[in-house]
Amino acid sequence: MSEKKIKKVFIEGAISPSCIADSIAKHSTKKDIGAHSIFLGQVRNDVINDKEVKAIEYTAYNEMAEEKFHEIRETAFEKYSLTCMHIYHSLGRVNSGEISLFVFTSSKHRKDAMEVCSYIVNRIKEEAPVWGKEIFEDESYIWKQNTP
Amino acid sequence: MKMKILAFGIIADITGKSEWTIENIQHTDELKKHLENLFPRLKNMKYAIAVNLLITNGNFELTDGTTVALMPPFSGG
Repeated sequence: MSEKKIKKVFIEGAISPSCIADSIAKHSTKKDIGAHSIFLGQVRNDVINDKEVKAIEYTAYNEMAEEKFHEIRETAFEKYSLTCMHIYHSLGRVNSGEISLFVFTSSKHRKDAMEVCSYIVNRIKEEAPVWGKEIFEDESYIWKQNTP
Repeated sequence: MKMKILAFGIIADITGKSEWTIENIQHTDELKKHLENLFPRLKNMKYAIAVNLLITNGNFELTDGTTVALMPPFSGG
């Protein structure tokens, strides 16, 4: 329990592909895993009023978000047959084309890994106190709104 | 009686600050009224209020030393 509690979710800036690759590689020692499911959220260059989104800058209510991530993690372990899970979310500026959310679930069989991954992503979008500011090329911005 | 106010996202843009202290406000409805008088744009905003990390439902009593967070709809991920 306490090991899960100290897991760090927030990463300053984009989540690098090499960090994702390392995370996958680390699981080769866990030989009871038969399925991994991965969700990667990438910053999209939406065009709003003729201006293209260049980056998203994320801020969070850190203290509350850490509690929420912990709660989501605990519930996921209760509801699904999971071997392990990892959640990483960016804070600060992430350019379009870069990764800002990485959810990685592993279980014996694919059904649990896939379902829980989707469950976690949905809960993060709905419940984590994180806000994204969409920044355009001229540095003007609007506050992002999540699609349901 | 002092309380810490935290503002996030577009709310911090409207209030022009992300953290400040207020005094002598008894409950969250009174706080909303107080803030909406100071910052009329908040009247048309949808936002949740968390007291000591818990999202409130309806009017909620405020006590000395509480932290109140003003949170617009989340947009993480």
